[in-house]
Amino acid sequence: MDNEQLRRVRKTTRLHLAMEAEETLQRIEDFPDKPAAMNYFYSMFRDTYIGTPALPMAKKIIATMCMQVPLELILAADAIPLRLCSGANAYDQIGAEFMPSKSCPVVKATIGMLHVNQTLWGNSLRSIVIPTTCDQKKKAIELLGDMGYPIYTLEMPSSKDSDRARFYWQEAVKQFAIDLQKFTGNRITTKKVQAAIAKIADAAGLFRKLYELRRSTPPLILGTDLFLVNNAYFIDDIDRWRQAVATLIAELEERRENKVSATNRQAQRILFTGSPPIFPNFKVPILVEQSGGIIVADETCSSTRLFSDSVAYDEAGLNDIVPAIADRYLKPSTCPCLTPNSDRLRKLVTMARETGADGVIYQALSGCLPYEMEQKLVNQTLAEKGIPMLYIETDYSPEDMGQLSTRVEAFIESLKARNKKKIKTK
Amino acid sequence: MNSLQKAINSTSISRFRFYFQIAAFILLLYGGYLAINIGDELPTFACVYTDLRGGSCYLLGFQHQMAAPFKRMFSGRGIAILIGLATFVGFFVLFNKTWCGFVCPIGTIQDWITKLRRKLGIRYSTYSEPVFQRLSKIKYILLALLILIPMAIGNSFFGLPKLNHDWGVPFCMICPGRTVLPLFSGDFSQLAVDFSSKTKMIFTVLGMAVTGLFFAGSFVKTRFFCLFCPMSAFQYIFSRAGLIRLIKDGEKCTRCGNCYRACDVGIRAIADDVDSKNIVKDDCMMCFKCIEVCPEGGCLKAKFLTLPLYESTSAGFFKRMDGKNNGQ
Repeated sequence: MDNEQLRRVRKTTRLHLAMEAEETLQRIEDFPDKPAAMNYFYSMFRDTYIGTPALPMAKKIIATMCMQVPLELILAADAIPLRLCSGANAYDQIGAEFMPSKSCPVVKATIGMLHVNQTLWGNSLRSIVIPTTCDQKKKAIELLGDMGYPIYTLEMPSSKDSDRARFYWQEAVKQFAIDLQKFTGNRITTKKVQAAIAKIADAAGLFRKLYELRRSTPPLILGTDLFLVNNAYFIDDIDRWRQAVATLIAELEERRENKVSATNRQAQRILFTGSPPIFPNFKVPILVEQSGGIIVADETCSSTRLFSDSVAYDEAGLNDIVPAIADRYLKPSTCPCLTPNSDRLRKLVTMARETGADGVIYQALSGCLPYEMEQKLVNQTLAEKGIPMLYIETDYSPEDMGQLSTRVEAFIESLKARNKKKIKTK
Repeated sequence: MNSLQKAINSTSISRFRFYFQIAAFILLLYGGYLAINIGDELPTFACVYTDLRGGSCYLLGFQHQMAAPFKRMFSGRGIAILIGLATFVGFFVLFNKTWCGFVCPIGTIQDWITKLRRKLGIRYSTYSEPVFQRLSKIKYILLALLILIPMAIGNSFFGLPKLNHDWGVPFCMICPGRTVLPLFSGDFSQLAVDFSSKTKMIFTVLGMAVTGLFFAGSFVKTRFFCLFCPMSAFQYIFSRAGLIRLIKDGEKCTRCGNCYRACDVGIRAIADDVDSKNIVKDDCMMCFKCIEVCPEGGCLKAKFLTLPLYESTSAGFFKRMDGKNNGQ
């Protein structure tokens, strides 16, 4: 595509993108009684998606396409980590040019975004790190490399239980640390890694508080808002993000004192799992909360999974810290690319119990095969524990909204009926 | 959870353990100066070869007792053996394997060697875990030998001639406790090779070799010797009765492996086993470092009967890691 045409495509895509983002934000803001601290996140997404994007040009960017990339090391190399995963339908349509139409919209949209914005990055984008997780991301490595992007392949094993897998991943992460120094021209020292670990641990600590507030009875914040907060972590400066979240937590704690609830008392508590909701594709979470549900917890890689674990090392030297960072990203991972993935099943059952969830909603983005294939086992495991689950296959396009809202409403009504019965039999 | 428990759970047990170990070390090695002696049936390596000790290891007496002919063992003498064993088990049951993590002088010395290595900025060595775990079965062989060899002094097995008394305390002869601990009271005599008989010569040479391995091994690998310790094997037989327990709630475990990383004796099950409640394995020394690095509230717990002693909490985890990240 020549430059003139690309510029035209970029212009129209950005228009579509702005409309999509505004629509999603509007629908989120339509919920009553929002915490004032959420405004930071609303305006942050408005600034990013509507108008010309402002990249943090001053610094070196190490972009990532998955949560398996150790952010601690990127921060330690004085670079900005930026997660590129896109949730935009506008980009998805551009990406369809590069990938089969039935492939995963997350990867498609991300490729579309990178294609359209090729000239925007300039010198600041030092590398795009893609771990070898699902097949679609693996193939994206080649496609994006062909576009001329500096791609880094972070080799990840497809299993995590054996020592072989663990050492293989540790070696890959060690090499990544070495290569990061080349990309950025900055040295990674023990002190810097420790500071980076501390920063991310602080973010994780804040997240844990948020998790508690979200699952409390009555819930203090909408799940959709929380998805937005966690999505912001993809792109926001980590210090600003921490500050904004701390403010939000303070406000929510105040709300708890004053017994302000985010929703009515009959709202059905939902545990959300499956393919990640990425802004602006919050179709399903918004539908759930509009239909009388409230998402009290989620098990997705765009939200809870980002923060649920923290690095712990024993010896304050890079020889122990770097493998410790590697372990944190592999051992507790519940990514469906791993096999066996029994930890995800266990985690879902524990989360459902911890959060008092009435039901589980499982989103699979069509084309995201690992999640589609794990559905059966998850359903079976939850059924054994008597937890109802709704499986939703969808994509980024708004076409199935009507159909989806009927299904979600019906599911939530059935949960309500089930609970009434339970109370009666008691 | 009351506020005292919360405060305890936010502290670092490793720091407490460091000072406790020093105190225990002083008590066991120099207790005699203060006329303290807490007994000769201790389930820990307080060496008999140290003159003014404040208590001593059960294994020496036990090996002596095993040297009695069977006829005498099953007569009145047997009662003395049983009393000894009961005292040992009593001491052990009270505190379970914390004897290893908090009291054992040989363990303490190994921890000091590790501290020294870290101060020097020398990295630990990595090794293949399965091979090492297989090697650590040696402690059961050592335990069997330290019972069977003395028995062959008082009795004749399969018509073989009885062993002479130079074989009396075979494990003590190769134990680094015998060579290393007397050094702390200024006694270097145990470092000598005894040429008075062939058996003694072989044993003392072997003892020196083990001492060398002890220092070299524990310099590159935390608690290296503990993996081969027959006392630990002996204790493990009674561990289920221990009043202090390390308990895991598998449901809360995310298998993040922090505990496995921290474990000085490399127990994999602590991270991977999500079914067992009692998670004390034969190599465990109950140092409770695993609890320190567990970010999941209530996943790992140390209890004395029903009294909670120390418990993993996410607040405690973040506080301790923050201290570590700031170089404390």
